[in-house]
Amino acid sequence: MKRKISFLAIWMALVPALAMAQSNPAADWTGYYMMARGKDLAGLNVISPNLGKTVVEHLQPWAKVKRESIDAVIDDNGFVCKPTGFLRAYGSPFDENFYFVPGRDRETIVFWVYDTVRSRRIYLNQEHPRNLKPSWNGHSVGHWQGDTLVIDTIGFNDQTWLDGGGAPHTEDTHLTERMRRVEKNGNTYIEIAVQVDDPRTLTSPFTFSRYFKKQNFEMDDYVCNDAVDFYKQWRAEAIEARRKAAAKAGDSQ
Amino acid sequence: MKGCWVSVLAVISAAGVARAQAGAGQSTPLDLAGVYQSMPDGVTLSGGFRNSGSPGEISLTASAREQMKAVNLKDDPWKTCGPIGQFRMMARPNTVIEILPAGQLIMILFEDVTHGFMRKIYLNRTHEQRSMTPSDIEIPVTKLRWFGDSIGHWEKDTLVIDAVDFNDRTWLNDAGAPHSDALHTVERIRVLRNGQLLEYKMTAEDPQALAKPYTYTRYFQKIDREFEDDNCVEQK
Repeated sequence: MKRKISFLAIWMALVPALAMAQSNPAADWTGYYMMARGKDLAGLNVISPNLGKTVVEHLQPWAKVKRESIDAVIDDNGFVCKPTGFLRAYGSPFDENFYFVPGRDRETIVFWVYDTVRSRRIYLNQEHPRNLKPSWNGHSVGHWQGDTLVIDTIGFNDQTWLDGGGAPHTEDTHLTERMRRVEKNGNTYIEIAVQVDDPRTLTSPFTFSRYFKKQNFEMDDYVCNDAVDFYKQWRAEAIEARRKAAAKAGDSQ
Repeated sequence: MKGCWVSVLAVISAAGVARAQAGAGQSTPLDLAGVYQSMPDGVTLSGGFRNSGSPGEISLTASAREQMKAVNLKDDPWKTCGPIGQFRMMARPNTVIEILPAGQLIMILFEDVTHGFMRKIYLNRTHEQRSMTPSDIEIPVTKLRWFGDSIGHWEKDTLVIDAVDFNDRTWLNDAGAPHSDALHTVERIRVLRNGQLLEYKMTAEDPQALAKPYTYTRYFQKIDREFEDDNCVEQK
């Protein structure tokens, strides 16, 4: 989604009260994180920094055609404050951010993303239920492998995009995320390595990674409705610029 | 979801008892973590606990009444899938919330995520100590928020939440009662029955919109199920 806003997101790890929290690494991740950029990435290896390029390289022919037919200005749910799903959030060029919070019993992790993504939950040490109803953010289960949280997500609907350019996907989309805390450059990060698979859309799975730096300031609220007027104006200007360009091209012929 | 409140937990965990007893009579934070659902109006629990008051009963100032005449109910944030603000949201029947203690924060999530969104209650600062997040937003930046700035503290078995700095984009009730950015709410969440029941008292004052402060009471019962996000767009 080509817009310049600050996205907010919250990670919430729901673990038992204090005693159990001490046994769950997620409890130590509590805090507010924002996608690391520039010098904050020194010494860190970001896989597939240009997610859109990576996505396109892995699309099947029909999906490439579909992506090219999508108008990323007109068709973007985000501009009308409808859910956008979290699949494309990691590839955003903007300040994606989230809050990680220790929670309550039954070892569930809740993943709240900014307004147009809203929330997703990660159920620890459980299986996906059968007959999942497709949803914007899918159904996530997770488990710890040492200091790494491994999350498996299925059950997406097909209404969201894989990237801001409108790359489609199907309900067979399968996501594997590996998350761990990293200390580097005097900062604390959460490293997120993602593998995306969708046999009906992709020629092969693709992978990418991102780093989120722990912040010292309070997380602000982002409610899409605050920005909808801005989006309307931005979109109208983009459409007008496109119209003028087309007219100019017509005149020159 | 209807009727879920009937099947609320009757089982009291030993841990819950211990936590609740430890908090009784002192200002130690209690463990509020859990999922709760508000009781419908007209139901009386043993002990005489029952909802009282309603946002529909508020008394508006003359200017607010005049302003309300211009309201188009089609613009109701409820209908347009926007946040409706805590004063209205917490009074709705069968509202499901999840409370997550998070260090110096307490977060309140709403199963009806579109209308309720999410709230952060800061336990370690005053309103004046609020820090604004640096960002790359190109839209107007203001300290006014849909849910205001909420700070909290414990008074024995009660979490007291004080919120100011609201924007004026939400209504106080379904009829379109407006409020100003002078809205000030105080919520008192009292832990009852070893954490299985919450008494929620909401008081709103707004000299520009309310003829007098108004208080309503709701009871939330702890429920034993996971939280399922309910997305307004999907209901359309």
